[in-house]
Formats: sequence, C-alpha cells, structure tokens
Amino acid sequence: MSTSNYDHLIKDSDQDFFVDRSIYTDEQIFQKEIQTIFESTWNFIAHESQISQAGDYFSTYIGHQPVFIVKKADGSVKGFLNACSHRGSTLVPFESGNAKAFRCRFHGWTFNADGKCLVVKNQDTGAYLNSNIADQSALTPIPKLAIYRGFIFGSLSPNVPELSDWLKGTAAWIDCLVDQSPSGLEIIKGQSTYRLYGNWKLQAENGVDGYHVSTVHRVFANTISNREAKLSLTGLKETEAGRITGQVQSGSYGFGHGHMGIWTERSKPTAHPIWQEKERLEAQFSKSQVHWMLYRTRNLYLFPNVFIMDNPSTQIRTMRPLSANVCDVTVRCIAPVGESKEARAARIRKFEDFYLTSGMATSDDLAALESVHEGSKARNSKWNHFARGASETLQGYEGEEFPLAGPPPEVTTKNWDHESIYKGFYREWKRHMTQESQQ
Amino acid sequence: MNSSLYQQVTDLIFEEAEYLDQKKWSDWLSLYLESCIFWAPAWINEHTHTTHPDEELNLLYLKGKQHLIDRVFRIETGDSFASLPMDRTAHLISNIRITGSQGKQHFVNANWLVHSYGIRDSLTRGGSYQFIFEETPEGLKILQKKIVMINDKLVGPIDIFHL
Repeated sequence: MSTSNYDHLIKDSDQDFFVDRSIYTDEQIFQKEIQTIFESTWNFIAHESQISQAGDYFSTYIGHQPVFIVKKADGSVKGFLNACSHRGSTLVPFESGNAKAFRCRFHGWTFNADGKCLVVKNQDTGAYLNSNIADQSALTPIPKLAIYRGFIFGSLSPNVPELSDWLKGTAAWIDCLVDQSPSGLEIIKGQSTYRLYGNWKLQAENGVDGYHVSTVHRVFANTISNREAKLSLTGLKETEAGRITGQVQSGSYGFGHGHMGIWTERSKPTAHPIWQEKERLEAQFSKSQVHWMLYRTRNLYLFPNVFIMDNPSTQIRTMRPLSANVCDVTVRCIAPVGESKEARAARIRKFEDFYLTSGMATSDDLAALESVHEGSKARNSKWNHFARGASETLQGYEGEEFPLAGPPPEVTTKNWDHESIYKGFYREWKRHMTQESQQ
Repeated sequence: MNSSLYQQVTDLIFEEAEYLDQKKWSDWLSLYLESCIFWAPAWINEHTHTTHPDEELNLLYLKGKQHLIDRVFRIETGDSFASLPMDRTAHLISNIRITGSQGKQHFVNANWLVHSYGIRDSLTRGGSYQFIFEETPEGLKILQKKIVMINDKLVGPIDIFHL
C-alpha cells in the first residue's frame, strides 16, 4: 500500500464521493494510519484538570506508543514516552496518580518530571565504560506538547503546525464550552471505556453523524418522552427529545484539517444545566457566542482522536485504535467548575442516560457501528456513499446567523444530516496517507 | 442467624435472577419498590469506584421505579439496535451474606457472575451486589441494588439484564 495514491479507495469528483469500505477492515491500511496519522500529528491527550496538582501524572497512548504527561511544581506540563530509557519497562504503572519521581519497577532507575535520570541503581558497581550514563539516559520527550484553554495535545512528530493553526475555527467551538465558567472546566470523577469491535473511522464518522440520530436514537427519544409524561418532569430534569426527532434547525461544519462539527438548536434550552448561568453569560459574551452556548448543541470532532460534545450533557470522548477491527473508546463527563449541585447532578444524569454503553443511546450506536463493520466485509458491495447535501453545500459562514470569531469553516451545510463534512475528513485522511513518512 | 430471613433473602435474589434471565420484565419490576435505586458505579481508577452518584459518574443510576420501566420500555419497543438480537444470560450468584438490619430493612452482600451469549459470542462479567431489601405486606422487596462490576473495559452494550 505504500506506493498507493489511494485514488482507487476514495472516488472524489464534483458529482460524487465514494469510499471503499476496505479502509475500515484492511490491516495494512490501519498500520499506515497509525504511522502517518496518529503518530504524525496532534492528538488530544488529557484535560488539565486531570493533572491539577504538582506531580500528578496521566498515561495514555498516541497511536501505538505509550506516553505520559506530568504536572511540574511550576505549573508547566511535560510529556514523555512511557518507556524506561534503560530496558523499556513502562514507567507509569497506573493510568493516573501522583509521584515525586518516577522509579522504574524493573531495575530501579529513577527519573524526575523533566525526564532527567536521577538514579542508575548501583551505578558504582556497574562497570560502565561511560561514567555519564545517567546524564545520557533521559526519558524521550513527546516532541510537541501544547495546551489550548485546558485541552492538552501532543504530537510524536515535531513537524506539525502550531496547535492554534491546527485547530482552525474549532477553537471558537472549544471557547463556547470553556467560557461557560469563569473558573474553567473539570473532568467529573468516573469514566467508562468500551471496546468497539469496529474501525476507529466508524466512530469518527458517527460522532458527527446527524443522519443516524432520527433512526438509531428514535427509541431514546420515545423512551424519555414517555418518562417525562409519566413523571411530569420540569426544568433541568427535562430532556431534549425534539433534537433527536428533527424538530429543530441544525447544520454542519467542515473546519479543515479533518475537523468536523454538527450543531442543532436546543429544543428545550431551559433543560440544559448551563441555563442557570444565562444572565452572566449574556452580560459577558457577544450575542453570537451566547447563542452557541445557551441555544445550540455542538458535537465537535478533532482529527484524529477526540470528540468534545456539548449537547444534553458535556463530554470528552477519546479513541484509541488497536487494529483495523478494534478501537477502545473512553468517555468522560466534563463540566463547568463551580456549577450548582442541581446543575451538576442533572448533567451527570443526562450523561448516563445517553453516553454510555450501559446507557440508552451509545449502546445502540455501538451495536450499529459493529453492524456496519461486519457489513464492510461484504467485498462484493464495497462502496460507502457520502452524497447528502452535495447540492446545498455552502462555504465559510455563508448563511450563518451567529458567526463566531476566528477562521471560518471551509464547508457549511444547513442540515446536520448532510454528509458533505465527511469529504474534508477523508481528504485529510488521504493527505496524511499519501505524504512521505516523517519518521 | 435468622434462617427464615436468610431463606427469604436468597429466594428474592434468585427470583430476580430468574426473571432477568427469562426476560420476564413485569415480574422483574414487581420485585422493586417505587422509591428503588438501581445503581452501578463507574471506576475512577484501577482501584476505586465512584461513591457519590450526584457528583460523580455512574454506569447506571436509576432512581425511582420509572427509570427501570424506561429500560424495559426501550427493550420492548423492538427499536433498540443494541437489543436485537438480545443476549441470552445466565446469572450465577453466591457468597450471599446478610450484613445487618435496621427496622424493616436488611442489608445483603453477594457476588455475581453473568454469563452472556449473543452476537459477540460468550462473555462473562462479574462483580458484587449490595442490596437493601425491605419488608412489606407482600414480602421482601428491593429498595436498592448496587452493582459493582469489576470489568471496567466494557465489551458490548450493557443492559439491566446483564447485571
């Protein structure tokens, strides 16, 4: 596949856009994705609230490579490959924790939060040819590490644009979440990881797929409508079934660099936990920003590994692809610091209703995506069609009543079930897959 | 040890298991009090699960019987992608121990394994239960079922009958 231009897998013309489903199932393509996409560009790593104190660390993966980040006493964040420079044992045994120094459990070499090797166990009897063994055994840093308003990103390749350039217009969508509290955001304790027996790109598509909502999640809308009628729920305890059944305005944005977003008007903005902050937000932010914060839902996908969502609840969803056929997905609830107890509880209940594989919607998505992955093995029926919206695709903020600051999106549609944004995703995918390896 | 209470407790636990495995939803719901809580915490890290349901995330926190009815409603619509085809399950419950009583309420711990078979082939999940049972004129009913699932990487959808 290394010499392929991928034109036979993605048919991209003025008329149509087809993707060969083998890109979901082919292990050679997958290994190249890990190398040329995940290990060559910015990945979301963690939110800064996950490492709030000096010595707090968080470990995860970029592509196939284990990494960890650590908060230093001066407040800065450092990141390293999670591999002892001596013989490769992972240094950080837990996903998260606090450490004064990182002592390898294998041979006892010890490193500080700058990655400097402090201790080579029994160095004096080591008969080393080189007396500077410790000085030359620093941990390998993550070459690029940057933070946008609390969201920490890392790249294993140094040859990436500045993070703000990479994010393009998505930064304004992130702002609409971060600005909901003057004290920023925090990850709520507790998380869930589910294993998708399907390709990561199916998850990437699904999180910004407005088109499936009125079929796959119709049952969710019916169930919660039934609950609301039985219990006569009001205020924050109400949910937003109207969003699912298509009774509200919606749209989608292709931001460039493979980033995608879909939005809807809120069918019941008073049900959203942030509604309690209405007066403060209106006093502090522009009319457009307030509209996006209070009256619209947003699903944002940042190429390649994270979703940031603000719809009935608020969520960070990260993907860790393991093979063409397996992707682990972790969901966390992110919330404004200092919100009322009532708002926090409502946010958590709405999250549990929808976003977990033990909930009543993500469970149905999981089953749907695994079904798509299975169907993708039908090689005699191999073309995925992304055609919806082709005749009504706009550019920039054309037709947008509430444009946000920053770079405008590249592509706009006025209906969240249009598929035009996937073209940008797959063009970015192809750009990475056909560029020369940076390793 | 009050052997008749222990008998009632085990009968109720096994009755619930049977209704879940046989998908007898209305019989299952009849075991729960209106003010019941059906609660499965999430994991914070490798060793600690969440304990404050209104401040931390849970896999399930169904407070009030209507929320259990929601889950049955969803299954019975025939419209849930995750529920068709539905996994077959077999609950195995042991280590049942009455840990205390307070008035009409009895606190009961147990361990569980649920073997499940479906389109993802055989899966076995496990953990512990912490029940609160309450004496009523119709016998013991379930006030609370707290389920700690030791699996924290979930394969396949998890519904009420998997726990």
